[in-house]
Amino acid sequence: MTIETNSGKDCAHAWEIMPWVLQATAPHEQGEWLMHHLAQCESCSAEFAQQSRLRSALSLAPDIAVDADAGLKRLMERLDMPEPKTLPARAWPRNRLAGALAVAVLVEAIGIGVLGARLWSDHTAQYRTLSQPALFEPAGAIRVVPATSMTLSEWNRLLHNLDLRVTDGPNAVGAYTVVPEGSPAQAAQLIPELRASHGIRLAEPIDDRP
Amino acid sequence: MNESTREVDARDRMLLQRMAAGDHAALETLYRAYHGGLCRFLSRLTRRADLIEEIVNDSFWIAWRKAGSFQGSSRVSTWIMGIAYRCGLKALRQRGDEPVDDYAMREGRGPAHDPDEDRELRDWLGKAMEHLSADQRVVVELVYGVGNSLDEVAAIMQAPVGTVKARLFHARIKLRNVLPLLGGDPPAQQQENAS
Repeated sequence: MTIETNSGKDCAHAWEIMPWVLQATAPHEQGEWLMHHLAQCESCSAEFAQQSRLRSALSLAPDIAVDADAGLKRLMERLDMPEPKTLPARAWPRNRLAGALAVAVLVEAIGIGVLGARLWSDHTAQYRTLSQPALFEPAGAIRVVPATSMTLSEWNRLLHNLDLRVTDGPNAVGAYTVVPEGSPAQAAQLIPELRASHGIRLAEPIDDRP
Repeated sequence: MNESTREVDARDRMLLQRMAAGDHAALETLYRAYHGGLCRFLSRLTRRADLIEEIVNDSFWIAWRKAGSFQGSSRVSTWIMGIAYRCGLKALRQRGDEPVDDYAMREGRGPAHDPDEDRELRDWLGKAMEHLSADQRVVVELVYGVGNSLDEVAAIMQAPVGTVKARLFHARIKLRNVLPLLGGDPPAQQQENAS
C-alpha cells in the first residue's frame, strides 16, 4: 500500500516518525522538523491531530472495571497455598508418566549397551586368527597343537598330568590355548615337557611371540 | 529511555529483587503499579473482567516465581507485558475463545464517573478499534497507549520487528481511513489522502 501525500517524500517521513514524536522518544531534531512540516502541511497536521487524539483515548483508564484489591487478595491467597495444591491436578500424573518413561528408556539403553558389548566381544573372538594375539590371553598361556592321531583320552591325561587347562581352541588348524592351573611362571618349565610328550606337534609360549 | 522511565525501571528491578527474596509487600507494590495498565492492555484481547483479573493474577504468579531469574535484558515493564500477553493468549486458547472481534463500546460500559468528554473519546476509540485485528489492536495499544518502541513490542509479542512494523503500518492505514468517519474534528481532506 502506498501512502500518497501532498508533499511526497516529506509527508512519508512525517508519517513514519509521528508515533515516536508523540511518545517523545524521537530525537529532538526530528520533533522540530515534524512541527515545522506540520505548520506547512494541512494533511499531515490533520493526521497528527488524529494520532494525538488516539493517544489520548488510549491513555484513559480501562473502561472495564477490574477490582485491584480483590484480585490482589486472591493472588496473595494463591501464594500462601501449599505448593502441591497450586499445581494443576494433572501435573503429577504427567510427571510420573514422564519419569516412568525415562526409567524405561534408561533400562532399555543399558540393556542394548550390554548386548552390544557382548556381541562385539563374540564378534572379535570369532574372527581372531592364529597369527593374531588373543585379546584376553591369560598370563603363561601356551599354544599347543596335538597330532590328529592323539585320542581324547590321551589329550585329557596329558593335561591332567601337567596340570594344564584349556582356555581356547581348537582353532582352524587344531591349535589349543592352555594355561597352567598354578602359577603362570610354570609355563616355561611345562613347554619342554609338552614338546617331549607323545602326540604333541607344537608347543609355543604365546607371550614370547614377537 | 528517558530519565523518568529509567527511574521507574530501577524501582521495578528493586521490587523484583525483593520478590525473589519472598517479599510479599514488593509484589503488592508492583501489582498495584501495573494493574491499570495491564487491564487496559488485556482489554484489547478480551472484554471479560473476570478473565482479565485471572490473566493479571496468572501473570503476577509467574513474575513472583521467576523474579529471581529476570535477566535484565529488557525493562521490567516489557517483561511483565510479555508475560501478560502470553498468559492472555493461553487463557483464551484454553477456553476455546478467540481474541475479541466485537470490540464496539456499548452504551454505559465505561466507568460511572466518566465525564462526557472521556465517554465520547472512549466511544470514538472503541469504534476505531473495531476495525482492527486483535494483533493490530495490541500493537496500537503498546505503541500509543503504553509508549513501547518497536523492539519492545517485538519482545512482548515474541514476533520479528518487521512483523510488528507491518502490523502497526496496516493498523494506521485502517485508522486513517476510518477515524474521519467517526466524528471528532479531523479535516475533510484526510480521507482523500488515504490510499
